[in-house]
Amino acid sequence: MPELERALETIGRELDFPATPELGGPVRARIERRSQWRRAVLVAVAVLLVAFGIALAVPDARSAILRFFHIGSVTVEQVETLPPARERPLVAGLGPPRSRRDAEVSAHLPIVLPKNLEGPPPRRFYAQPGVIAVLLSVEGKPVLLAEMRDDQVSIVKKLASGKTKVEPAGVGEYGLWLEGGDHVLTWQFGLADTRQIRTRLAGNVLIWLKSGRTFRLEGALSKEKMQALARDITL
Amino acid sequence: VVGRPLDEDDLIQRAKRGDTHAYEELVHAYQGIAFRTAYVLAGNAADAEEAAQDGFVKAWRALGRFRDGAPFRPWLLRIVANEARNRRRSAGRRAHLALRAATEQPSGEAAPSPEAAFLTSEQRQTLLAAVNELPDDQRTVISLRFFLGLSEQEVAETLALPTGTVKSRTARALERLRDSYA
Repeated sequence: MPELERALETIGRELDFPATPELGGPVRARIERRSQWRRAVLVAVAVLLVAFGIALAVPDARSAILRFFHIGSVTVEQVETLPPARERPLVAGLGPPRSRRDAEVSAHLPIVLPKNLEGPPPRRFYAQPGVIAVLLSVEGKPVLLAEMRDDQVSIVKKLASGKTKVEPAGVGEYGLWLEGGDHVLTWQFGLADTRQIRTRLAGNVLIWLKSGRTFRLEGALSKEKMQALARDITL
Repeated sequence: VVGRPLDEDDLIQRAKRGDTHAYEELVHAYQGIAFRTAYVLAGNAADAEEAAQDGFVKAWRALGRFRDGAPFRPWLLRIVANEARNRRRSAGRRAHLALRAATEQPSGEAAPSPEAAFLTSEQRQTLLAAVNELPDDQRTVISLRFFLGLSEQEVAETLALPTGTVKSRTARALERLRDSYA
């Protein structure tokens, strides 16, 4: 190599460049943040598309959506006129009863139960992809507890008439209380598996978010009792 | 400065599949050369750091288009260099890079290397001053080629220039420098 080039290389080795900053951690943090943000946007868009599609698929709801709520895996629409519905069991659409272990394996989701549940431990569990549920007995009344993963498109679509009271609830990171009136439920397990379960609910519904999971209690309990039960589950 | 992980292909494949830890290892392997390349082009450490970081993030997003088996370093440096140039352009300033020779020998070093010994301190300062006086395009080529140790092909790819252009710029720059060094 000619002397000049060799001299330049020698100088290059001695140059006083600023110290190289640590970039690995900051870069990884940025790309992971971006991935989470993109995933959240995709899930939100998918949920909105599904909710919109379902709304359009229900003739009576199509013309008269009054209010729209979205909380975790659950979308709630208040409509002027409900589609025809008949009363069905609380667990309709959730498949056959299973043992707790079978349900957790099937749903890929461990269930969180109330810590101070009265009576014998529950034995009837239900599972669908991303959803696990259990039928509880509280003060002698059946209460359905369902838990859903927010990162899966497994949602409960609820149509509530104008007679249903919808208000915030003080549980979890965000909670919603629905009381009175009739409801029509639609469960969506994955993008391709939509099941519309037409049912008249026996009672009221509490929905809340906690640590990336949506919880839903349904039964004939007051708001105070349902919130106390919810806090016993996720506090 | 250069550093090349032994299992680079494996890291790239894992990163392509979304493994952020594998990509972090690639960043560690190339952050030195990426930062210095950005420094040569942007002209200051703050812009260079931002350009290098942004470049790594953009390279992550573009990994799907990276051709398997192709050299990773020039592909990455081209993205970083583009970020650095954009930063300088948007700031509306000319790169004023004053490269300085380190003034002190590292402690514990008994004697200069044989390569260093043939250059007097005065020659070093004179030659460096002459490099700093070169036009931007020539100084960039000289800096990447000789100070950062990139091959001619890598310089061309990093700067998105034909190899012939790099050759001619290098030749013109060396011609000017020869006068200072003589």
